[in-house]
Amino acid sequence: MKRWIVRVFAVVVGVFLLAGCSDLPRDPDGTLERVRSTGVLRAGASGSEGAVVVKDGRVSGPEADLVEGFADSLGVRVEWRPGGEQELVAAMEDGELDVLAAGFADDTPWADTVAVTRVYGAGKVGGDDVGRVLAVPLGENALLVALETYLDRATP
Amino acid sequence: MSGPSRVARFGNTELPPEQEAALRRARRLEWVSLAFLTSGVVVVYLVMGNSQAMKVAWIEDLLSLIPPLAFLLATRRAGRRPSVSHPYGHHRVVGSAHLTAAVALLSMGLFLVFDSGSGLLAGEHPPIGTVQLFGQTVWTGWLMIAAMVYTGVFPVILGRRKLPLARDLHDKVLYADADMNKADWMTAAAAIVGVLGIAYGVWWLDAVAALVIAGSILHDGVSQLRGAVRDLLDGEARTFDDSDVHPVVDDILEAAHSRAWVDRAGCRVRDQGHVFHTEVFVVPVGPLGAEQCDELAEAIGRLDWKLDDVVVAPVGALPPGVRTRPRAATES
Repeated sequence: MKRWIVRVFAVVVGVFLLAGCSDLPRDPDGTLERVRSTGVLRAGASGSEGAVVVKDGRVSGPEADLVEGFADSLGVRVEWRPGGEQELVAAMEDGELDVLAAGFADDTPWADTVAVTRVYGAGKVGGDDVGRVLAVPLGENALLVALETYLDRATP
Repeated sequence: MSGPSRVARFGNTELPPEQEAALRRARRLEWVSLAFLTSGVVVVYLVMGNSQAMKVAWIEDLLSLIPPLAFLLATRRAGRRPSVSHPYGHHRVVGSAHLTAAVALLSMGLFLVFDSGSGLLAGEHPPIGTVQLFGQTVWTGWLMIAAMVYTGVFPVILGRRKLPLARDLHDKVLYADADMNKADWMTAAAAIVGVLGIAYGVWWLDAVAALVIAGSILHDGVSQLRGAVRDLLDGEARTFDDSDVHPVVDDILEAAHSRAWVDRAGCRVRDQGHVFHTEVFVVPVGPLGAEQCDELAEAIGRLDWKLDDVVVAPVGALPPGVRTRPRAATES
């Protein structure tokens, strides 16, 4: 019994030590590290009412502002790639994109293909109230944590 | 919960004080288990996110609710007295509960092995994000590990407490439950390794940990199914952990052989769940009175509290498939 308690304590202490490591979690494919070292955040943008506006190759709208703000917080610039939602999700799967702003709702069917953030704000899709989310490559958890941490600060 | 007067018997068998106390404590422990496991299921559900290992651990927690429920229901039902419509009492409810739990484990284990294995082969990278906790943005992985420490420690203590009670009550459902509880820390540890794998960017460690846990569920299911089926097929009575033929079988044969009027004797002892049903066949030396059979039956009944339903049958020749010699004699 005593040995047990000692073991449990070891685990708990270990967890707290690990929690202290600010570089965890890490990305399996090192996306966040690459963004920082190259200074470029490759972002996909797909037009979506109330979230993203793509006009003459220029990207704007509240979600675009969030992506720009996130890039600023990392000290990097955004390289936009406008396109259709499906095309951009496929590009993200192939590792060509780091962030995706497409006015995704929190119940997006793409959630198995890309990793979605927590809801950062409210929006409307087809008259229904939804929570808005951004997307990053699946399993790139350091990037996901960085983005969600930024969204927590940038949105009320 | 029913009062002690209602549960202090298995069918016609009045429980000795020791077993009565064990039954009361076991029922209390199972209620505590249910309460704790439910809290664990809720906590793990809240944090499990996209980790496969956490998902499998959660389902295992959910499955581990079945044995305590089965035990509580079975010990209540087994208290009913035999009647004309149920001449052997309701002891078999233990076997049914045992089989139910085993099938649940087995099917869930198979599903989870497949689910985790396909995730590993498909190379699914589990995404785990953050939650806001007291104004801080915290990676959910740390909460998962905390939840696993919570669900991993307490059941081990419960399992260690239940094990001696399972022996005293000769209750295989309780034994299966205790055994699963004792192994719970391994599930928790495996899930923690999986989440730590995700933390370090080793995405496949999560799926591997999930496979390990799923494999242990499957293993439990197979061994429980074996034991449950053996008892339902009226296999010879074994000890509460199925490790060996129950030693009381030898005592029964010795008692029969010790009577001067017995020429040859054989017995069949089957486990009905908690209590045994014993048939002793004797080939008498000469003419035989009913009171001699009754005396032997009573003497055998006093050997163990589980031996209440004893039939001594005088026969001309022993039927096939009965045990005729104590194992100590046959083995040497």
